[in-house]
Amino acid sequence: MSPIQIIQKSEATRKHYSSVFAIACLVICSLVVVVLVTLLASVVTSGGGWLSWTLLTGVHHEDQPEMSGIRQALTGSLFVCAICGLAALPVGVGTAIFLEEFKPKHRVLRWFHGLVDLNITNLAGVPSIVYGILGLTAFVYMFGIVPPIEANRPASIEFGAQYYYQAKTLGGKWINFPASDRFQTIYHFKEPISATMATGEDVQLNILSKSADSPEAPAIRDRTVFEGNSASIFRRNDWWHVHLPFSKSILSAGLTLALVILPIVIIASQEAIRAVPGSLREAAFGMGANRWQVVRSAVIPSAIPGIMTGAILSMSRAIGEAAPVLAVMGGVLGTTSGLTGLMDKAPVLPVTIFRWSGDENAGFEHLSAAAIIVLLIVLVAMNSLAIIIRNRFEKKQQGV
Amino acid sequence: MSLIPESVNTTGSLLPSAQYRLRSTATSRRWQQLVVAVLVGCAAISLATTVGIISMLVIESLGFFMAEEIELGRFFTDMQWTVGQTKGDLSYGIMPLLSGTLRITGIAMLIAVPMGLVCAVYLAEYAPRKVRAVLKPTLEILAGIPTVVLGFFAVKFITPNLLVPLGDFKTFNATAAGIAVGILCLPLITSLAEDALQSVPRSLREGAYGLGSTKLEATLWVILPAALSGIISAILLAMARAIGETMVVAMAAGSSPTLTLDPRGPSQTMTGFIVETFKSESVVPGTVSYYSIYAVAGVLFLITFATTLFGQFIRKRFREEYQ
Amino acid sequence: MQKRIWIPVAAMLFGCLLGGCGQPTQTAPAKSSGGSAVSTEPKNILSGSVVIEGSSTVEPVSLKAKEGFNKQYPGVNISVSGQGTGNGFKALAKKECDISDASRPIKQSEFESCTAAGQGFFEVPVAYDGLTIAINKENTFVDKLDVGQLTKIFRADMAAKTWSEVNPEWPNEKITIYAAGIASGTHDYFMEVIGKDAEAGMRSDEQITLSEDDKLLVTGVVGEKFSIGFFGYSYFVANQDHLKAVPIVNSAGEAITPNIETIESGQYEPFSRPLFIYVSTASYERAEVREFVDFYLENITDIVTQARYVPLPAEVYQRARTHLDKGLAGTYYLDANGKKREGSIATVFVEENLLGK
Repeated sequence: MSPIQIIQKSEATRKHYSSVFAIACLVICSLVVVVLVTLLASVVTSGGGWLSWTLLTGVHHEDQPEMSGIRQALTGSLFVCAICGLAALPVGVGTAIFLEEFKPKHRVLRWFHGLVDLNITNLAGVPSIVYGILGLTAFVYMFGIVPPIEANRPASIEFGAQYYYQAKTLGGKWINFPASDRFQTIYHFKEPISATMATGEDVQLNILSKSADSPEAPAIRDRTVFEGNSASIFRRNDWWHVHLPFSKSILSAGLTLALVILPIVIIASQEAIRAVPGSLREAAFGMGANRWQVVRSAVIPSAIPGIMTGAILSMSRAIGEAAPVLAVMGGVLGTTSGLTGLMDKAPVLPVTIFRWSGDENAGFEHLSAAAIIVLLIVLVAMNSLAIIIRNRFEKKQQGV
Repeated sequence: MSLIPESVNTTGSLLPSAQYRLRSTATSRRWQQLVVAVLVGCAAISLATTVGIISMLVIESLGFFMAEEIELGRFFTDMQWTVGQTKGDLSYGIMPLLSGTLRITGIAMLIAVPMGLVCAVYLAEYAPRKVRAVLKPTLEILAGIPTVVLGFFAVKFITPNLLVPLGDFKTFNATAAGIAVGILCLPLITSLAEDALQSVPRSLREGAYGLGSTKLEATLWVILPAALSGIISAILLAMARAIGETMVVAMAAGSSPTLTLDPRGPSQTMTGFIVETFKSESVVPGTVSYYSIYAVAGVLFLITFATTLFGQFIRKRFREEYQ
Repeated sequence: MQKRIWIPVAAMLFGCLLGGCGQPTQTAPAKSSGGSAVSTEPKNILSGSVVIEGSSTVEPVSLKAKEGFNKQYPGVNISVSGQGTGNGFKALAKKECDISDASRPIKQSEFESCTAAGQGFFEVPVAYDGLTIAINKENTFVDKLDVGQLTKIFRADMAAKTWSEVNPEWPNEKITIYAAGIASGTHDYFMEVIGKDAEAGMRSDEQITLSEDDKLLVTGVVGEKFSIGFFGYSYFVANQDHLKAVPIVNSAGEAITPNIETIESGQYEPFSRPLFIYVSTASYERAEVREFVDFYLENITDIVTQARYVPLPAEVYQRARTHLDKGLAGTYYLDANGKKREGSIATVFVEENLLGK
């Protein structure tokens, strides 16, 4: 129907069309609400019955959905997001300040400024799985520049780890003692050394020549080893233990997620900074402050609520991302020792949901839905916080 | 933002430099230099990310195309993708993966574009306050839902409850994934298109009403055409999102790379292939299937990058029209 | 006035984030002392880590071993992943794992890459598996299949489109196939049976879904009436309420359903096969790996039964123990020319057959 044909119709008919269209629109729009309600309802009906204390406190058990839980996934998500936030927020806010407040005069810098500005919007359109692959290459394998981690060789560059040897005595007790050279992975007993027993007691080890008769008394057997027997190296690490390459670890995952949300943080912070009234800046300049002093004392304080809102929203994006984490850490569902440091793998909530929903055991399907409920609750909490901050900010703006 | 005079943003142009120097001490200036250096460093990281992505994809894809088994031509012409699958001769045509991506993106767009646009029009032109108060948050919540959740919805609800009763749909199929991706793109299209509609100048609207058109006529023949480039850019950006969507596809679309038009069967997309390879706890570097990830990701990156860039370009031009 | 509020709020939130990051310092010791509540000797009990990769068919066995071992030694971090036998051997050759799970013996090419990398290994058979061909519970027409029919369904050069092409009496319905992907030992084993002397491999068209993930295959067959798939016996038993195992016609012409008795007696052929773990010799020198492997072998019958597989004859386990103690590294399944040895595990797995360094 062309405009001419329509206009030829009577006004009543045309008005009628218009209101029919409005109603049709309303119906289609209410479909959106229906979709959301169905989605939530299907998750709740599937997983509601599986919300339990075990879900929050348990760890993944193969084949036993009743015993499995998301404790490790929750802590994993928390720490991965903390790393992500610590990396992305300062860098993102810094970039935004640079883009909005410092328009350089130098030609090269100006070119750089324009390029960064152009780049941000394009980065925001890159699929998150591509970031995952970047994380895998840049953090996990470090472009192959650093030798890869092997099973029986300590990393060549590392901090925050102490090496010990461990061995079993004749009495079947485990002892250990510090290693001086971490690259010597096997130690052969030669001369008496002091070692720590499992009880924490320090003892002098007896070294018995192979031909000698082994002693009878258990107390002595417990602290005796044969000459030439071997002890093998193991590592104890502090939580900040770091080695190169980062390998598949929460540090790699957090940094990768930081790259994913960086454009979002930058764009949100830019908007927050742009919303700062020019009068504030002028007043500060008028008092003789230089540009950085203006930014520090006038712009940042009044942009902070906006920046915080953006930060929380981008963190809630990070906590729901599965694909990049999957690429960087693999589909981990749980680890024996839990999270002890930056170099550990850990499951995160979205990956757990993904793996569980793909399990053929129907129990895990429900458990996966229950985990979704938990994830949604976390997201709702984060978003409410953002809304509270935004509302207070708006009130304040109106007050001004 | 237009409140801020442009001149304020250029260092010191409002203030006579003598006065400027008067209060800012030598220390504070050195401090400022340091801060600028740090900020430049921050900005450089985002640039380094792009450089990193591109160089990584190029270099590692070379590893794939340089491998003895692989010829570049066959990457685009082979009709099968069997990297890491059958024994004997290896087929590595990207076409099946590409067709999977297009199939799912197509279905997603079929859902997201009409619904998204209707919502945008309704929100921009019609919606009474009360409806708006429901619809807006609904869309915002929908936009915030993690993609794994939509994947779960697709495979555990859409397929068994909506599709299987309709016909011969497989456990993993392109339609369910497409619908879920459509749900995911809908809020994006709505919010971008609503922005575009709302930035159509008031004068155009008033002109249309002044000439006696009804709301429908004003919307269809005046406002929509005026906002067209903004709407196209919204659709393009949503499309880039759909092409790059990973988890929904990995969960609901299955894992067989097939070259078909049948939306009832399984289909593997480019992103789906990448995830399938990653799903296990380790990928062994240096193998053909490891390099193939990069080759596929390279194609994926090119497509989404081009789409986004085109969308941005159209949006910029649109903005210029009215500003 | 109002503006001031935001500074403490922001500081608090950043503080939360920082505190969140700082927390591992507190949790790490807390966790190890938490572990002490379980074991009486916390600080010095066996530590270290064991990395296991490879077959998803063997994965349940290794997971059960891990579970039992961790009860005794909670300090040892064991990671098990099931990415396919082929990928397991790759990881072994790259020295990325301590133990590689395998649902078929090592191949010539894999053996060579291990040798080239200086990676020695112990070959330890752990269980029997009856590779199970499964159909949907609602499928009533298939009562048995022979190797010829399976070839028609699965091989690329035959690639039957419908069930009636396999047997004219069966309905004219499209077959949907869920099969193990190439990195999986199950795939190789299956192809050995149906495609021994053929050029053609497994079909790869829109009717087949290939995956190294057995769970996905099970989900697929459970969901569709006219589907067929195959996977390790353990995955069938875990889902036997939703699946049907097809009796397979053996060389004696009898249709045999896979179960513990028929697999153990060897009647269920040609799809009975041994499963292995390959232990890196360098890793076996490490106390925690040695302790784990010893535990594995000591409790092998329980572990295998819990994992829903069939234990091997006690004599084979005995030999495996002896080989480990004597340090006999290498494979028993390849002869000097790199050809695979045929025969039952009891006849192949003997010292004379060792090919190693």
